[in-house]
Amino acid sequence: MTRLYLYGITRPREMPDRIAKDGTSLVAADGRAAIVSELEDDRPVEATRRNLLAHADVVERLHEDAVVLPARFGHVLESKDEALELLAVPEVEQLLQRHEKTCELTLKGKYEERVFAEVGAELGPLRNAYRAEPSFEAGIALGEAVGEQLAERRSRDESLVLDALDPLVREVVVSEPAGELAAFDLALLVERDRVRAIERAVEKLAERLSPPLHFKLVGPLPPYSFVRLALPAVA
Amino acid sequence: MQRESSSGYITRAPRSSGLADVLEILLDRGLVIDAFVRVSLVGIELLTVDLRVVIASVDTYLRFAEAVNRLDLQQATDAKGLPDLFKKGGEEMAEHESKGAVEGGMDAIKEKIGLGGRGGDDDEDEEKGRSRSRSGSRSNDR
Repeated sequence: MTRLYLYGITRPREMPDRIAKDGTSLVAADGRAAIVSELEDDRPVEATRRNLLAHADVVERLHEDAVVLPARFGHVLESKDEALELLAVPEVEQLLQRHEKTCELTLKGKYEERVFAEVGAELGPLRNAYRAEPSFEAGIALGEAVGEQLAERRSRDESLVLDALDPLVREVVVSEPAGELAAFDLALLVERDRVRAIERAVEKLAERLSPPLHFKLVGPLPPYSFVRLALPAVA
Repeated sequence: MQRESSSGYITRAPRSSGLADVLEILLDRGLVIDAFVRVSLVGIELLTVDLRVVIASVDTYLRFAEAVNRLDLQQATDAKGLPDLFKKGGEEMAEHESKGAVEGGMDAIKEKIGLGGRGGDDDEDEEKGRSRSRSGSRSNDR
């Protein structure tokens, strides 16, 4: 029996040539289709750079024209029957309907280093103490205070951004930002025809908050962060 | 591929760009269907632990203090009207340092999950970049 690697789920459709020629195909039934490719052996799927980028490429390319529920990397179906069984799950149809016209945009904020000058402006005495004698203790005292100021700044800016975008988005996933100078990390679920409006809103935000804030807006992507399935676990 | 806005403070990309974006999205997000499929993977279990850089460490505080002090001195010298050249050098250095901190984290992860060295990354990024500029221009046509 051939095992199938699962990229995601979509509606039955023509596969673009570029994707079909790499051996990616659809297993379709009742208006739903699993995007799969055949695995040649029983080995686990390796999380290599090539494999990860290929997975993203397939789901993002197919999402340009129609709904795609992207699977997490590494899902393997034991057979075509199992793919059909998956497609018959009612929640799959519900998710397809829910995301028929949506897309995900990711919005990340990151500060330039000059943010330190801004938060440091509030910390005169600690700063002076550190400059007068750059000891370990003075450094920790100042650094801790900077960390607190930065956290406040972060949470203020995240709220400003969320408030501004709220009328335009259907749902938001807020993640802990990664990196010392990171400000926020948001996944936005929006209607496909709202992308331009979001871009304009981000431009407005940049007028208010930049510098020191830099924005990175990516998408329209498949709804990676909005496809949680609550299926009963089967033993 | 990516473009900067006119103001220079917005980076806009139509698709996830590069391994860092893809890693985060594909390993942490996306449809998970326990009942039906077996996740069959090699070597990525530690990802969620390492991806988020934890801030509260002594080392971090000392670097924060150093950064505030350095930028403070820099502003003071600016005010005295020293040549721009001096300031520029400082900013460039700062940029390198902060990049180093974040990218260092990603590199450690890549190493752990066996995604190979930096050299290969760059090559493939260029390849990926070309295909993206095509999708970028498509979206502009709409």
